Amino acid sequence: MFHWLEKRPFFFAVGVFLVIAFAGLIEIIPDFAQASRPVVGTKPYTVLQLAGRHVYIKDSCNACHSQLIRPFKSETDRYGPYSLSGEYAYDRPFLWGSKRTGPDLMRVGEYRTTDWHENHMWEPSSVVPGSIMPAYKHMFTQNADIETAYAEALTVKKVFNVPYDKPGMPKLGEWEEAKKQAMEEARKIASEMKNQDVKDAVANGEIPEIVALIAYLNSLR
Amino acid sequence: MNWLSDNINLLALIAAVVIVVLTVLVAGKYIKQMKTDRSTGELAKENWDGIGEYKNELPSGWAYTFLGAMIWGLWYFAIGYPVNGYSQIGEYNEEVAVHTKMFESKWANADRQTLQEMGEGIYLVQCAPCHGIAGDGMDAKAADLTVWGSAAGVLDTIKNGSKGLGYPMGEMPAGLLDGDSAKRVASYVANGMKGEKPAEFAACAGCHGVDGKGMGGMAPDLTKYGTPSFVADVLNRGKKGYIGTMVSFKGRLTPIQEKAVGTYILSLSRGE
Repeated sequence: MFHWLEKRPFFFAVGVFLVIAFAGLIEIIPDFAQASRPVVGTKPYTVLQLAGRHVYIKDSCNACHSQLIRPFKSETDRYGPYSLSGEYAYDRPFLWGSKRTGPDLMRVGEYRTTDWHENHMWEPSSVVPGSIMPAYKHMFTQNADIETAYAEALTVKKVFNVPYDKPGMPKLGEWEEAKKQAMEEARKIASEMKNQDVKDAVANGEIPEIVALIAYLNSLR
Repeated sequence: MNWLSDNINLLALIAAVVIVVLTVLVAGKYIKQMKTDRSTGELAKENWDGIGEYKNELPSGWAYTFLGAMIWGLWYFAIGYPVNGYSQIGEYNEEVAVHTKMFESKWANADRQTLQEMGEGIYLVQCAPCHGIAGDGMDAKAADLTVWGSAAGVLDTIKNGSKGLGYPMGEMPAGLLDGDSAKRVASYVANGMKGEKPAEFAACAGCHGVDGKGMGGMAPDLTKYGTPSFVADVLNRGKKGYIGTMVSFKGRLTPIQEKAVGTYILSLSRGE
């Protein structure tokens, strides 16, 4: 058989692939199936948080901020407990990032607050002297795209069985309900903010991007 | 030959000489062999564009090494890895345990100067983003720690009230006292509640108790105001201040680190 294979490079390559792939698969699949299950307490994002996540992706926050705390003491001292794979179960796509120009944001909701984010996004150097992060003032005037966020949540609920509307999990429901609920969350965040334009916009039934982004950042724990 | 007194340099030089000598000897052996050797043995059936292959026996050294590697592989698969399983998380846990033990024993009786320096380091990472590098609260974006712990800090709280640390008594209203009476109470509390108690303290006693001790955990213990242990209490409970929310740092700092942060913060208002 080996003489036969030696003369046929294509089938030889297929054989090599199968042997190596087998070794890889029996190592990866059992562990992966276990580790990718949601950790207890991990919940899917609400519509408002998801809209904020879209803002985060749109403005490429992940180009400078990672969301992955490695198991090193220097990292857990600064950012909190190391990340577990199951914590990303509802992240589509995950935002691990590969470069830390700024700090890791995996658990930023644990140690930063709404009003800090408001100051920081308006003018980063006002709270972090020497920060090279640009200001994101446009987030205070542009509105977040709640419709797309709802569509995404509904899609992952139907296609991937993400447990929206299950006991103890975020409610999604029909569009009208979801919109009402997102507004309610937005009002709560706006009440902790100081920017009058944002407060007015929320009072008028709009949701500026900054409100959605803060909802998302506060949910990172 | 001064540079040879460094033993690393000396070793490197010896190694370089050995490598050169070995290379020359080995290369010489093979060059000589290529000149004189004749190929012998039976050719295999396959022939690739005129290049054939001898049906030689495996060199025994190679064969035993391969066999050994296979046995080692079985051992590693069945015993070596599963029984002595290394994991990154395990290494992390060991590292943290060792560090924690060393940290606790090394700084168990740290003096004030040491604590203050340690506290500054922690403060700059964990607290400065909101309270500012100088601790001044950055134009009222957070509590001004350069007055906290002094009479001015108490005065500030009396004037603005406090949304509290989550004690059962709840929120403290703003402006309970004003003018001179507020000042008298402020300096009394800031001095550790020693000396003569001003009559106006009655306004505080309703929640904090006549002795200011917080009536057994119903309200903050004012006798601890301006001490590291009060700071540790705030760190653990988090705070809903009149400016914004302060998150709880529970579990993020060790008791020694909390004490260090408290010592540093108090040094800010006392100009130490």
